[in-house]
Amino acid sequence: MTARADDRSPGGPRREGGLNAPDATFTALLEDSAEELYEQAPCGYLSTLMDGTVAKINTTLLDWLGLGRDQVVGRMRFADLLTVGGRLYHETHFAPLLHLNGEISGIALELKAAGGTRLPVLVTSRVKTGAGGEPMLIRTSVFDARDRRAYEAELLRGRRAAEEARRQAEADRERLQEALAVLQQSLLPSALPVVPGLEAASHYHTASPDLLGGDFYDLFPLDGARWAFFLGDVCGKGPQAAAVTSLTRHTLRAAALHDPDPVTVLHTLNTVLNERYTSGGDTRYCTAVFGVLHPRGDTCTVQLASGGHPSTLVQRADGTAEFLTTPGGMLIGVLPDAQFTPTRTVLSRGDTLLLYTDGLTEARIGPNRELYGEEALLAFAATRAPAGPQALVTALTGLLAGFGDGLDDDTALLALGIPSPAPATSEEHG
Amino acid sequence: MNPLTITTRDAATGPVLEIAGDLDHHTAPGLREAVDTLPLAGGQLLVLDLARLDFCDSSGITVLLAARNVAVGHGARIALAAVPSNTARILGIVGLDRVFTIHPDTATAVLRS
Repeated sequence: MTARADDRSPGGPRREGGLNAPDATFTALLEDSAEELYEQAPCGYLSTLMDGTVAKINTTLLDWLGLGRDQVVGRMRFADLLTVGGRLYHETHFAPLLHLNGEISGIALELKAAGGTRLPVLVTSRVKTGAGGEPMLIRTSVFDARDRRAYEAELLRGRRAAEEARRQAEADRERLQEALAVLQQSLLPSALPVVPGLEAASHYHTASPDLLGGDFYDLFPLDGARWAFFLGDVCGKGPQAAAVTSLTRHTLRAAALHDPDPVTVLHTLNTVLNERYTSGGDTRYCTAVFGVLHPRGDTCTVQLASGGHPSTLVQRADGTAEFLTTPGGMLIGVLPDAQFTPTRTVLSRGDTLLLYTDGLTEARIGPNRELYGEEALLAFAATRAPAGPQALVTALTGLLAGFGDGLDDDTALLALGIPSPAPATSEEHG
Repeated sequence: MNPLTITTRDAATGPVLEIAGDLDHHTAPGLREAVDTLPLAGGQLLVLDLARLDFCDSSGITVLLAARNVAVGHGARIALAAVPSNTARILGIVGLDRVFTIHPDTATAVLRS
């Protein structure tokens, strides 16, 4: 925008041949009078006395208000143009701040507009002072904020929708976790039964709370004299593994009631899993130890068989420890003609039988992440004073906690034994 | 974490798959696919050479079993060669050392077939 000195001629600026067309249009616009600009500006203008009485107001604002100039000037105060809420805000915040600071800008208020409607506006006011600094009048500009208000309402609606979606997602997630927890608990006994003359203890370490684990165990009566137990590990994790765990658990229980011979029970499970899964190409299998307890006074006969599972450990009352090896026992469910290996032992007072899953023995320990291994477990059991199943499980729980993130798999422990005659002093783990 | 690479070559007795890297939940499907698409004929020997296998978890064991099922389905046989000690230990625990024929290396596997 330039008004060049050499374009001047008597009578003021004139369009000359030297000006091109856009400059000519621009000059025409500048001829728009200041009065015209004030009256028809794209925003409302008004000036009020310091008490708020309207002294001057432009046509744009009068049109918005649906009022005539003589109705307003000298008769109404600025606050009278506002809705009740706007007036309240004007009195409590707007006017005091304006008087304090001499200006206030971008305040959202609502005008009582033509036709009884409300017009959202953004108001900026400034106090005009005299030469001595004394306040003389207030100049106010009023911007139509309908579009902006609609945009804000849209944003608010969007935020409410997002919040609702988040609430819904959280509720869904909670429900899902609850379902997972119920399913997980259905894979394990809620509490071990009380077996007369025997002590039993168990522990389940979950590597991931979101993933259904594949480890399982159980202890249940066969008849008046004998009890059955099992502990195992299904390959994989998640819902598919949990389905295999559920099938495995119920098959073992049902098979045990039909014929509790451990090898027979494992063969039944093998047939069920092999028939159910291998034919579909979705190879699913498990490893398990199944056994029968026959308590007789001071001793308890244990018959068990293993299918591909780490060896069961016995902590003897004399402070030694040994594995009940079952060489050649195969993974269960993979081959139609799998072989399972039986073994037996007798528990005396103070002896403890320990079943575990390979989360324990395959844990990685130390800075070099070395395999914890079966030998270390044997040594651990041999160095603990034999104090019964609960004490051993408590000690192992402490051991597992010490593995930290070297323990990245689910781990199940089940210990069974005949308590010593003297009350065993529970040993602190550490 | 090492990626899994599978190199296939033909011996006089049948295909030899050299498996290198980690065989786990993420990579096992790759081996499964390689085995499924092998042109395997009845009477042949499928050798899985594990000399450069760095890691094998239960998903790996599963796919080895799947390979065995594929071989048996074709009327072929399967052998493992150069099984790393940790994998051999796990195969022993789960009784699969009696299911798979295991050779110290591929040459022996091919010779003894």
